[in-house]
Formats: sequence, C-alpha cells, structure tokens
Amino acid sequence: MNSDPIHPLLEIRELVFRYDGAPSPVFENLGFTVAAGQFILVRGVSGAGKSTLLRLVCRLNRPQSGSILFKGRNIDDLPPSELRSALGYVAQVPQMIDASVRENLLLPFSFAANRKKNVPGEEELRKMLDDFYLGDISPDQSAMKLSTGQKQRLAIMRAILQQPELLLLDEPTSALDTESAAMVFSIMEQLNVSKGMSMVTVTHTEYRPEKVVPVFYRLENRTLNLER
Amino acid sequence: MSHIITISTWQLLLALVFILLAQASSFFWHLGLNRDIAVGALRTFSQLFLMGYALTFILGFENVWLTLLVFAVMVVSAMFIVKGRVKEKQVPYIVPTFLTMFITYFITTLFVSGMIVGTTPWWEPRYFIPTGGMVIGNSMSAISIALERLFRDLRQQRELVEMKLSLGANYREASDDLFRNAVKAGMIPSINAMMGVGLVFIPGMMSGQVLAGTDPLIAVRYQIVVMFMLVGSTAVTSVVVMLIVRKRCFGSGEEILLTHR
Repeated sequence: MNSDPIHPLLEIRELVFRYDGAPSPVFENLGFTVAAGQFILVRGVSGAGKSTLLRLVCRLNRPQSGSILFKGRNIDDLPPSELRSALGYVAQVPQMIDASVRENLLLPFSFAANRKKNVPGEEELRKMLDDFYLGDISPDQSAMKLSTGQKQRLAIMRAILQQPELLLLDEPTSALDTESAAMVFSIMEQLNVSKGMSMVTVTHTEYRPEKVVPVFYRLENRTLNLER
Repeated sequence: MSHIITISTWQLLLALVFILLAQASSFFWHLGLNRDIAVGALRTFSQLFLMGYALTFILGFENVWLTLLVFAVMVVSAMFIVKGRVKEKQVPYIVPTFLTMFITYFITTLFVSGMIVGTTPWWEPRYFIPTGGMVIGNSMSAISIALERLFRDLRQQRELVEMKLSLGANYREASDDLFRNAVKAGMIPSINAMMGVGLVFIPGMMSGQVLAGTDPLIAVRYQIVVMFMLVGSTAVTSVVVMLIVRKRCFGSGEEILLTHR
C-alpha cells in the first residue's frame, strides 16, 4: 500500500448504516474525505455514531449502502487484515491480552499481515514508554495490572508502533484525567507535525490543538458536517 | 462362561425400587424432580424396548440399505439433540455440522467394524449399528459442548477479538485461543474417560459383554478399541466442525457476526 498522490487517503461516499433491528439509521448519505497528513477531529453528542464511523472504516461493521475508499480502492476489495494493518484503530475501551507490557506492544507483529514491518527494539519501546509518560512501568510487568488510563496510552502506543498510514482514535482520552489527556493530545499533535501522521480522532471534548491546524467535523442529524 | 441369566418381567419391575427410592428422595427433600424422574423412567423403558424390537428386526433382515438408513436416522437424531442444546440462531452451523458428523462417524464406524473387528460384510448390523451408536453418542456431546463454548466465548470476548482484528490479525489469528479452548472443552470428557477406565469405572459396553458371558479378556480388547475410537472420532469431528463454524462466525470483512443477546 504505497502512498497515492491522486486519491485522498480516505473517502466515504453516501454511506448508509443502520444497526439490525434499530428503528432509524445511524448514518444517511454520509460523506467524508481525509487527505494525507490531515489532523481531523470529529465531535458529536453521545450516541451520534462517532465510534460506529470508525468501526465502519475498519470493516468491523458493514454498511447497508455507500462506499468507503482507502487510497482510491474500495475497502471491500482489500483483504481485511491488509486494510486493518494500514489503519491504526484504537477503541474507546482499551483491550490487552493477558501478558506482559512488551508482549502487548509487540502483538501486531505476530500477525501475518505485519510480518514485513520493522519490529521495534527494546530501546525504542522504552523511549516510547517515556514519551507516553509511562517510563515508570517495566516492559516485563503484566499489562492486566495497569490502570485504565495507562492501558489507554499503551493501546495508542501499540497502534503507532504498527506504523499505520492513518490513525483512528476513538475517544482516546476518555479514561484519562485532564493532565494525562493533555499529554496524549500533545503526543498526537507531535506525531502529526514531525511524522506527518494522518489521524481522525472522535471526541466529545472541546479540545483545541495548539501545534497543528485541525479540521473540525460535527456528527449530527445522521451525517458529518464541516465546522468552520 | 456362556450361560446368560435372563431377566423376567417381574424381575424387571423389581428394578423400579430404584426409581421409587429416587422419587422418595425428591419428595422428602423437596427437590422438585418427581415429574422428571417419572418421565425419564417411562422414556427409558419405552425407548429401549422400541430400540430392542428395531434391532431384532434389523439384525434379522441383514440388509445394507436398512443398516445405513438406521445409521442416518441416528446421526439426524444426534443433530437435533445438538441443535436443541446449542440454540444459536445468528450463525448457520447446522448443515456443515451435520455433514461433518455424518462423514466422520461413517468413516470411523467403517474402519472399526470393517477393518479392526473385520466383519464380513463390512456393514454387519450386529457390529456396525452398536459401534456407530457409541461413536455418535459420545461425539455428539463433545460437539455440543465445543459449539456452546465457541459461541459463548466469541460473544464474551468480542472486544478482545476485535482488538486483534484491528491490529491486522486475520480471523483465524484473532480467534485462535477461542478455537483451541472450544475443542479442548469438548474433548476433555473423552480424555478423562481414558484416564479412569478400568480403575474408576467399567464401561457399559464391557460390562454388557461380560454379563452376556464373554471372556473378560476379549471384552477388554473390544473396550480398548472403543475408547481409542471415541477419542479419535471426537477429536476429528470437533476440529473440523469448529474450523467450519468459526469461519461462519465472521463476515466477508472478517467482522464478527454474533451480536450480544
């Protein structure tokens, strides 16, 4: 999946989605475009479908109609593991396997779709833990014993280590206190500035980035609207 | 060793003492099992007699198609029992499970009856039907346990499986643990039976042969074949069914199709 100068990184066209048995759809003719290097923040009230939007991009749910294109190719035509390997999706509730911090961070590299990616070394892991204000935890300790906030930061780290082309973050600071949340947002901004990492973050907070120029969207009335 | 003591009708009715004891226990200790014990006793009585007459008829008839028909009816009945226990509506598991059960059970029964015991013809009903019955009965329970476990774990651990999928795992990598645990759960009773056989309990088939006057050392050989046959057929059927059904739990985008109940 090499970068494509012609097509946007992600393009959603006329998306319709309804949960089985639900009286009304979550999305109706939703359109959305993400260009390479963009820092996008999607806001919306609880239940507006922010998490569902990211799940649809990852093919964890299937829309009734419409299309989602990743670098110009319909995601239905891509092998699911190849698509997800190129996306770094972090769910709202962080999930860890019952193993050490190191094993959790290196988990993506045990999957066939990521075998060609560079496995981070010990030094890189420790530096990243420091960057995420997790320098006081050992890579050998059990990830299950960490607090939810620590797990959330670890889950974001793991997604970044996977070297994704687009980072999708679902309420990445929901389990963090104000100070830790500011730290995580600061790291995300830094990644966007220094590495040009494209990201879509859904959040219900009124966070305003300081180092990057974000694009704001609001999810309401079953569609996404650009906020000006 | 060939003298068989037959049980007369009065002697058979005397065995009802045990049912009365069970009824009395339920009554005095308010277990609420009186109805179930009565229905169970009645069903045991009628179903076994019905089977006895059917077997007498089939054994006397000696017809390959009739033997295979009885075998098919047994597998279909087993499938209905599995369906009744598992109660899963979101994943279409019944047809592949039935086909796997039928093929595996048939090959196992054919191998044991035709090759190990060496009956002539291979479908000799006196051997083929009881052997098939043991394979089907044992493996059916294993499949029910394994299917229930797979569906339950996939629902309970949905977020964990989705986390692995999100990190680039394919559906097999994401659900490997669940698959293994389901197969193991189904197989444990068969393996435990191998551990305890001869020490903790004497299996029904061996007891039956000894009671019928067979030399215990011959009965032992049959029982060893049966134990190995049960473990092997249970393992193969469980693995194949779980592989097919697990695939069906995921959609074309390798998304989990099971939703919370």
